[in-house]
Amino acid sequence: MTRRVCIAGGAVTPFDYPMHLEPESMVANCIVETQQDIPDFHLRDLQFMVYSHFSVHFGKQLCPEWIVHDHLGLVGLPHIRIENGGNTGGSALYGAFLAVKSGLFDVVGVAGWETMDNVTQSQGSEFIALASDTRYEALAGGIYPIYYAAMAYKFMKEHGLTEEDFALAALKNRNNAADNEKTQWYRGEYQQYKRDLTVDDILKSRLISYPLKRYDCCLMSRGAAFCLVTSEEWAKKNADGKYVVIDGAGLSSCTIRAGDRLAFPAWTEMYGKGYPDMTEFAACRRSGEVAYDMAGIEYKRAVKEVDVAEIHDAFSSSETQIYKALHWCDKDSIRQFVREKRTFMEGELPVNPGGGLMGYGHPVGATGIMSAVECYYQLTDMIPKKHRSSKTYVRDADVGLVNSHAGTGTSISNFILRRP
Amino acid sequence: MTGDKRLHRIPDKVEYDQRHSDDFRGDVKEVGFHFCGYDYDTAEEQLKIYLHYDQLYYWKLAELSKMGKGFLDGQLWGTKCPKCGDKFFPPRVNCWNLDCNLEKTEWVQLAQKGVVHTFTIAGWSGKSSLKRLPFVLAYVIVDGCKTAVANELRGLKPWDAEFGMPVKVVWAPKKERRAAITDFHFEPADGWKPGPMNPEKERMKELCEPVYEWVKSMQ
Ligand SMILES: [Zn+2]
Repeated sequence: MTRRVCIAGGAVTPFDYPMHLEPESMVANCIVETQQDIPDFHLRDLQFMVYSHFSVHFGKQLCPEWIVHDHLGLVGLPHIRIENGGNTGGSALYGAFLAVKSGLFDVVGVAGWETMDNVTQSQGSEFIALASDTRYEALAGGIYPIYYAAMAYKFMKEHGLTEEDFALAALKNRNNAADNEKTQWYRGEYQQYKRDLTVDDILKSRLISYPLKRYDCCLMSRGAAFCLVTSEEWAKKNADGKYVVIDGAGLSSCTIRAGDRLAFPAWTEMYGKGYPDMTEFAACRRSGEVAYDMAGIEYKRAVKEVDVAEIHDAFSSSETQIYKALHWCDKDSIRQFVREKRTFMEGELPVNPGGGLMGYGHPVGATGIMSAVECYYQLTDMIPKKHRSSKTYVRDADVGLVNSHAGTGTSISNFILRRP
Repeated sequence: MTGDKRLHRIPDKVEYDQRHSDDFRGDVKEVGFHFCGYDYDTAEEQLKIYLHYDQLYYWKLAELSKMGKGFLDGQLWGTKCPKCGDKFFPPRVNCWNLDCNLEKTEWVQLAQKGVVHTFTIAGWSGKSSLKRLPFVLAYVIVDGCKTAVANELRGLKPWDAEFGMPVKVVWAPKKERRAAITDFHFEPADGWKPGPMNPEKERMKELCEPVYEWVKSMQ
């Protein structure tokens, strides 16, 4: 397994709600922007396309990837679509990683999008809840913020955290987005807060599901993202100085119903009794460990070795829970870890400098790819060009972590990106 | 068929002798695609079309039918693995233990009580649930099962809910039941009393106030 897989380009459309672009134009825009950065990349280089799109409900269109693929002029080229809830983008990246790692292809495009502004937000919440066990959970009125809140409330209690502690992640990511004009936060309510969204603003925002308020939750969105996954040979030849190596890749799964995690035999076997209960993301821990192992990173040293991370912050609480799942802190140190703001720009491991889902918005199929592209920009020093300033540029970062997350933690992927 | 007991039987001829037809059979409009309007923005040359799309689904409970029929009769049925003894609600029709190698579980009637494992107060929900806000969604471990089930916890002020509180199953009136999880909800067990108000409860109450107001304003 000496063949190395790289990310050699990528771009994101603005995320917004509403935004007036069709999926094929959004993907085309992303490819054009990638070509502006990587002039040697031509559509003719592509050998395989992995499409990342979550819900056909939003467009009332089955196989929408067929529309995009033929619009790009790629007839004849093999394509698949990957759908894996909120982890659709991460899973599509994982699929492309496998395709290149296997030696079957050298140049694979990963294109994702979601058009969630096709429905109202309450209808959209219900559409997404169709990814929970509809027979029991969605029918009882549950939607994802509610499931996450129930898990977060228990996590908060058991770790001595407060609403304010969760709010820090929301505040950080939204304020980071203040420099990134592609984010929904920058394009929308940012105008009201600029860089000064406070913990108090978050605490005062409307109740979504206790302990989560409106500003603890990401935004539904329309948008697309594209990422170019290649062999190192191609990257070196065509994107020298502008590529990163995918040094570790992990994908793991957990139960669809959070209530089924209290004593799942497979987890008990792996991590002992009582784990993950309803407070932990075992699939994150597992996929993180797999990625760390592949990249040669000792779990306990991960917080020191990783220089920048893009974490799936659909909720401020889930970002906080993920800190622990990724071995950056433990039950005893998490309060200190959060309160010392170690994941802020000035901290030891900046998380979501690009704004994360809180800032960008969460057009599901595009999200995980956006996170990978942001991390790629950091490690190739493209941030000053891509954001409106250098305030969210993590200088000299060598190692990045990209996390993508689905269901109630039902499917989670983690990637370690490194400068070559 | 090999006679392997773990295989679920596929009934090839099913006649439904009990039917409930009050609210849909015969007169539900399945309209399908219906383009019912548009907006046009001259300045941006943006056209938006309104698409209405409606469909009646059939949701077969098949081998979970016993659970659904139990709901209609006011009974709670879960399953239990005859090999390892793990007990499930919601029911799993095969055991989750890899060592049990898909052992088919057996139906067991459950006591209609449980314990709250965790909960939240919902202030926002899907389209179908907006008018019920704010409500408590609790994950309850029913009758010693290995799993918790999510359902609404009623019969208390939302901010009075507690981790570990004992609850009972309360059924909807018989004629309103639809063989679905919403045929029942949880309520505090008899004799349970909420603890005194404290700053955390005050905070939850304060967060709920605008939600009550908002729901009142809905048509
Ligand atoms: Zn068993």
